[in-house]
Amino acid sequence: MIIIDGSEGEGGGQVLRTALTLSMVTGKPFTIENIRARRSKPGLMRQHLACVKAAAAISGASHEGAVIGSGKLIFRPGALKAGNYRFDIGSAGSTTLVLQTIMLALAALDAPSTIVVTGGTHNMAAPCFDFLGESFLPIIRRMGFRIEAECLRRGFYPAGGGEIRMTIGPSEAHVSLVLDTAGRRLGQGAKAIVSHLPYDIARREAAAFADAMGWTAETCVAHSDAAAIGPGNVLTAHLECEHVTEIFTTFGRQGVSGDRIAQELAKEIKDHLSAGAPVGHYLADQLLLPMVLTKGGRFVTSRPSAHCSTNIEVIRSFLNTPIASTRLDDRRWMISVGEQG
Amino acid sequence: MKKRVAIGFLGTTLDIGKQENRWERWRPTVALCMQPDLQVDRLDLIHDNHAIDLASRVSGDIVQVSPETRVVLHRLNLKDAWDFQEVYAALYDFAKAYSFDPDSEDYLVNITTGTHVAQICWFLLTEARYVPGRLIQLAPPRRGDTGVTGSHSIVDLDLSRYDRIASRFRKEAEEGASYLKSGIVTRNAAFNRMIDSIEKVAIRSKAPFLLTGPTGAGKSQLARRIYELKKARRQVAGPFVEVNCATLRGDQAMSALFGHIKGAFTGAQTDRPGLLRSAHGGVLFMDEIGELGPDEQAMILRAIEDKRFLPVGADKEAGSDFQLIAGTNRDLSEDVHKGKFREDLLARLNLWTFELPGLKSRGEDIEPNIDFELQRFSETEGEAMSFNKEARALYLAFAMSPEALWSANFRDLSASMTRLATLSPNGRINEETVREEIERLRRLWKGRADEDGVDATLREYLDGMALSRIDLFDRIQLVEVIRVCRAASSLSEAGRKLFSVSRLEKSSQNDADRLKKYLARFGMDWRRLREN
Repeated sequence: MIIIDGSEGEGGGQVLRTALTLSMVTGKPFTIENIRARRSKPGLMRQHLACVKAAAAISGASHEGAVIGSGKLIFRPGALKAGNYRFDIGSAGSTTLVLQTIMLALAALDAPSTIVVTGGTHNMAAPCFDFLGESFLPIIRRMGFRIEAECLRRGFYPAGGGEIRMTIGPSEAHVSLVLDTAGRRLGQGAKAIVSHLPYDIARREAAAFADAMGWTAETCVAHSDAAAIGPGNVLTAHLECEHVTEIFTTFGRQGVSGDRIAQELAKEIKDHLSAGAPVGHYLADQLLLPMVLTKGGRFVTSRPSAHCSTNIEVIRSFLNTPIASTRLDDRRWMISVGEQG
Repeated sequence: MKKRVAIGFLGTTLDIGKQENRWERWRPTVALCMQPDLQVDRLDLIHDNHAIDLASRVSGDIVQVSPETRVVLHRLNLKDAWDFQEVYAALYDFAKAYSFDPDSEDYLVNITTGTHVAQICWFLLTEARYVPGRLIQLAPPRRGDTGVTGSHSIVDLDLSRYDRIASRFRKEAEEGASYLKSGIVTRNAAFNRMIDSIEKVAIRSKAPFLLTGPTGAGKSQLARRIYELKKARRQVAGPFVEVNCATLRGDQAMSALFGHIKGAFTGAQTDRPGLLRSAHGGVLFMDEIGELGPDEQAMILRAIEDKRFLPVGADKEAGSDFQLIAGTNRDLSEDVHKGKFREDLLARLNLWTFELPGLKSRGEDIEPNIDFELQRFSETEGEAMSFNKEARALYLAFAMSPEALWSANFRDLSASMTRLATLSPNGRINEETVREEIERLRRLWKGRADEDGVDATLREYLDGMALSRIDLFDRIQLVEVIRVCRAASSLSEAGRKLFSVSRLEKSSQNDADRLKKYLARFGMDWRRLREN
């Protein structure tokens, strides 16, 4: 039995999700102990349970210890089953994190699946749908995965009520990933979205962001989303390059001006650009799994986060695939996965 | 895994909001179902007729944020949600009608919403276990926190579950027991167990106590300590009133206990409250309760049961709420058997009966009590007092020998220590002083045994109550009078013998009449003496 120490490193939730995915794909059961042991509220939270339950549903797994506050979970996967699944996750969970946990497992099957997830799609504590749909999925499609996702309705925290529909087909021949540079900039832009809030907020944010970045006003648009449930505000920017599209997001918060929100996001993008690495932190974390599960490859990123190192540790407890991290210069590292990397 | 069930009022202030901007506010009932570390499987939400729309909106919002939660609406109409009696009664009925299943469901009572009165009622019902659950209190997000979820804390009113509180209770119980023992570190296991029980009962029960045990075993002292412990723990506010029932006689007994009104009888020039009323809100210690007459017994029984009684001469009942501690050195069940003591009164007193052992059966406690007495003497006299080593060994050897009768128990020990201390002016008790004291104790117990012989004779004619009212001086005389009477063939013969000197000087020589009058003083007559 694979034993994982959930108190090690960063991101107890990420450790759990990575382990669930790997366990389902490899068929290896695992035990995770000391789950989030050093947190103020240790153990499994509702959002983690949502992932465990979804994973159990698609893989016919048995598990022990899947209760709130539990410090130990034993997960024994059964046979993965393609099909149509629906998961209703309230706003305490996150739709994108549940999808992230199960999609690569269903992608390993020969038959197609559809997943509908309802709940929060735009939540500060998790990647928003735009990252999933516009940054992550296009890259792994290049690696041979056939995964598409559509946000049918945005669901902002706290009301939730959003809906994402994901279709997963059998993968084509896998190709190893090579992402040494971002390549030529093909496009850039930002979207300021409000839901059940004054449109003016979005308009100001978009203008302030265009100003901060020195982008033309036409690339930074404001939008009022009447279909979303509950009030919310998100500012999303994209950098579309030849080899990668990066998505950056900030959420409007009570008591924080639209100007501030725009400045925050602009700073984040400038930091990313000045590092000169094509792959940002979050994308780097997410790319490891599809790479180790297929033909591997390499990418250049900024200094690997503690999150990333923890993720590598979990992967090593399931698979022997070599993962190397090489420093290229002050601000750039190369992560390579597999022999040929 | 038990289902988590939350029960609470819909907040007609905190949970409101029709527009989308309701999501920007902290709404406790919605937040209850959004806690990242708490999953509510069912919410029993109580609301009134005016809040039907709000209730359905809130339950819709809850289903959206927490699909795991099933919301069950309960309609409860209150005329005045600030009226304690109404709210308590309504929630009591709600709890009674609710089929709690604590084996498969875990209950949380949300006290965040609803009036403060509702909050208090929930607290009382939960504390009394009418609602077998714990309380949950939601808190709004802290300043600077993003989101509207806030946090929650669960309060379990079962105090024994809290280590730090439990250890305080333990410490308090130990302090209470030690207090009851006047701080004396007693070693007798049976005695210590009894004190531990008394400590528990004393702070939990308002029912009567019965302390039995031989004279001088410390009943009175213990009764006062129980009172003081209860007072320290704020269980009683009134005074400690002590009475020895053997000293109560005739009409005066009724009047002393239950009081009288002005003019109730000759000499009743003012109202008298009586001991029961004086003890209102406090503790009444009735020592030698077996000496109480039948009328007083009946009144006391009613006073315990109904907290009401009739003062002498009054046409309206008076009330007093006191805790009774009764003391006796008699076997009351035997008295019941003989018809001297009411069975129903004994049944009332018998709930908490503690038998104080005599000093002789607590040999291991003699030494700590000696130290206690020495210290007490030192404190009152301002002079350190101690034994020298040999003297201490000598005294202890005697004190714990079968020869030491300790017939008046702690009273004897206390008196003995006082004598020793007083006779040792340099603060050091030596062997010689101890030897003299041992002799004194031997004489005391022998004399008391003789005195017991006197009492044995008198008990053939008088009951304990009557006997306790006669001075030893008279008792000794009376025994000899009885002996002479028994030997004589007639009253006159006995009179002639008893008054042989004084009759020579008197003009009228009615010795028989003189003797008859003497006997009558003690409630005796010639015929009864002859019959026995």
